[in-house]
Amino acid sequence: MGRKKKKQMKPWCWYCNRDFDDEKILIQHQKAKHFKCHICHKKLYTGPGLAIHCMQVHKETIDSVPNAIPGRTDIELEIYGMEGIPDKDMQDRRRVLEQKSHESQKKQNQDDSDEEDDEDEDEAGPSSFQQPAAQPQAAYMPPMHPGPQAQGMLPAGYPGMPPMLTGVPPMIPGMPPVMPGMPPGMMPMGGMMPPGPAMPPMMPGMPPGMPPHVARPGMPPMAPAAPVTAPGIASRPAVPPTQSTASKPLFPSAVQMGTGVASPSAAPASAETQSASSKPLFPSSAQAQQTVSGPSSTTSDSPKVTFPAYTQPFSTSPVAASSSTVAKPPATVTSKPATLTTLSATSKLMHPDEDISLEERRAQLPRYQRLIPRPGQTAAVAASAPPSGAVGGMIPAQRVIPPQQPGIRHPIHGQYGGPPQGMPGYMAGGMPPYGQSAPMVPSYQAGPPGPPIGIRPPVMSPGSRY
Amino acid sequence: MSLFGTNTGFGSGGTGVFGSTTTDSHNPMKDVEVTSPPDDSISCLAFSPPTMPGNFLIGGSWANDVRCWEVQDNGQTVPKAQQMHTGPVLDVCWSDDGSKVFTASCDKTAKMWDLNSNQTIQIAQHEGPIRTIHWIKAPNYSCVMTGSWDKTLKFWDTRSPNPMMSLQMPERCYCADVVYPMAVVATAERGLIVYQLENQPSEFRRIESPLKHQHRCVAIFKDKQSKPTGFALGSIEGRVAIHYINPPNPAKDNFTFKCHRSNGTNTATPQDIYAVNAISFHPVHGTLATVGSDGRFSFWDKDARTKLKTSEQLDQPITACCFNNNGNIFAYASSYDWSKGHEYYNPQKKNYIFLRNAAEELKPRNKK
Repeated sequence: MGRKKKKQMKPWCWYCNRDFDDEKILIQHQKAKHFKCHICHKKLYTGPGLAIHCMQVHKETIDSVPNAIPGRTDIELEIYGMEGIPDKDMQDRRRVLEQKSHESQKKQNQDDSDEEDDEDEDEAGPSSFQQPAAQPQAAYMPPMHPGPQAQGMLPAGYPGMPPMLTGVPPMIPGMPPVMPGMPPGMMPMGGMMPPGPAMPPMMPGMPPGMPPHVARPGMPPMAPAAPVTAPGIASRPAVPPTQSTASKPLFPSAVQMGTGVASPSAAPASAETQSASSKPLFPSSAQAQQTVSGPSSTTSDSPKVTFPAYTQPFSTSPVAASSSTVAKPPATVTSKPATLTTLSATSKLMHPDEDISLEERRAQLPRYQRLIPRPGQTAAVAASAPPSGAVGGMIPAQRVIPPQQPGIRHPIHGQYGGPPQGMPGYMAGGMPPYGQSAPMVPSYQAGPPGPPIGIRPPVMSPGSRY
Repeated sequence: MSLFGTNTGFGSGGTGVFGSTTTDSHNPMKDVEVTSPPDDSISCLAFSPPTMPGNFLIGGSWANDVRCWEVQDNGQTVPKAQQMHTGPVLDVCWSDDGSKVFTASCDKTAKMWDLNSNQTIQIAQHEGPIRTIHWIKAPNYSCVMTGSWDKTLKFWDTRSPNPMMSLQMPERCYCADVVYPMAVVATAERGLIVYQLENQPSEFRRIESPLKHQHRCVAIFKDKQSKPTGFALGSIEGRVAIHYINPPNPAKDNFTFKCHRSNGTNTATPQDIYAVNAISFHPVHGTLATVGSDGRFSFWDKDARTKLKTSEQLDQPITACCFNNNGNIFAYASSYDWSKGHEYYNPQKKNYIFLRNAAEELKPRNKK
């Protein structure tokens, strides 16, 4: 790989220690193996996301990550791909990798499995060489090579060592006298890590000479390693915006809940995730959707929910899917009478079919169209006598309609269409211009009995449907 | 006002018109009932501003009336006054000094109600029903903004019969909100326009809707410095979009969430999706409340992106909601919203307005 920014490591799964070529593949692996709900097989994005999903949707608690090795089963650790891995484990891993790669190099040269065993033991030891990628090691090799061999430190037990030395991870404190040779190179590298322990035992003679020179080659590769994490992560955020692709919900824990964003394939979902992208580690960030500003509204459909994590069992994938379908058609509504798609396999919109607002629909009814005081008002007022009485009592200059109704008959025509019947009292003193319309008056009739203003005088306000 | 400041027993501080306290579902949350509610669906609620002492609640209804109650500290609600329009009242708002109430109606007019004299005068006229009304108080001007189904947004100086300004909208106004210097209007056909109000109102930006269904309600929220910074938009499809005007990272900062849906289990039961009828932001905490056709209200923390609470289901949709000026009281109205068509309308069914202590339940969740 040679991508130093990636912490000089191939992506590996914290839960089960497997290696992967690519972080994407790593994430797919995690989703399928560690973050998959055992009940509904829904793939979540993180451990906590899975826990929340199980709790909310299935009312079950889970306390360990499925298929994880012992010690790596913490369900509360938010790990996504290579992000979120605790530093300690990261370093352990590097060490391990380092040892492994040194070992494998040794092996390549010698096919001696014994070494491996030895090395394994040593791994646990002080050898904390960084895992440098093959390259760095390779870099060392050459210089190292001559050194160690020259030293002849090779222990008897390491027939193949010498040549390997260079590449061999230092881990073998005891063994590798040879190592010492190489190791000097290594050591210094290991210098990133606790160099102390390894050195002393190894090469009494070496260190003095080696370290300095070894250090150099060692350092550079190492150096980047440490800070790598930072840039690595930092670059992440930048990346996502462009990535979008994979359904990488920004809101790992949340996303699951609600919306089946998990199905990257689903156009709508992907659309969302697209805008989302990036960093699941940032719980506050996120959530996809929003194409708000438009163009990116590749999000064809309903942006996915983002509150899911803490809400009640919201729609799970099925619903999400359906809501998508529901969403689609309405988007094409253009004319008033256009209808909404209110039904889909898994959801039903509780709204009348026409795509007009509820108020518009209601206002069309005759009972609401009279632009005259509702006949029922008197009744209504009477019915609520106490309140109105109270009201009247409160306000000496009570202007409640009922008393005025009679007076309203007198059309105070004005230019305005609306007949504010209640006005008259004020109008007089106030703004004549705001008069009431004459037309209304004639049609006005004494309150038809019955609260339900069923009676509809044919005369409605001038023409308009309102 | 320290009304309901702490958990007093306001529930029991009877308003006297409690209705049966048996388990009927008209008030499953056991909240305080407002006395003398309107006789038809309540379309809008508004509490008095902090500039006047006390808590006064204004409610407009489809019975063409606008009522005013005083909400006392002990939880008692006292009807104070009432005014009428000649058509259903769709929106109400207060002036900044709390002395006037503006009402908008299907009768195509808007009125200004002077509470001291209990007189109203007409201050606006449109070609179609006026759907929204808001008071704008700018350093250099004050006016009333009305949004109508006649596709215009007009600004009125209450002393003149002609509008100070009239802006054309692409479609009928469905909902709007104003927090100086920002105004947001959502229209039919999923239109969304932001206006800036400094100097004089002007269109700032037309935004492509973050939602795929008809817009139903909108509410502006403010940032930590109390400057309007974005809005919450609700649709008929049980979904709310949180949208920032100038976010550092739109893809990450803007989001939507689902709400007001029946808990369709994972099985094949179709999930019922209800409209979000109103959204209100808590004036202090910045958390929000949504009320829906499903008859529930929910509280949310948009920064922590979590739900704080969902109520029990009332037997009628909840059509309006609002917080009082200090955030201690949450008022919500239970009445039919026409979401199931006229067949389900029962004129005899009582309409309610409930008051709930909102001081504790709307505290933001600590960010993890």
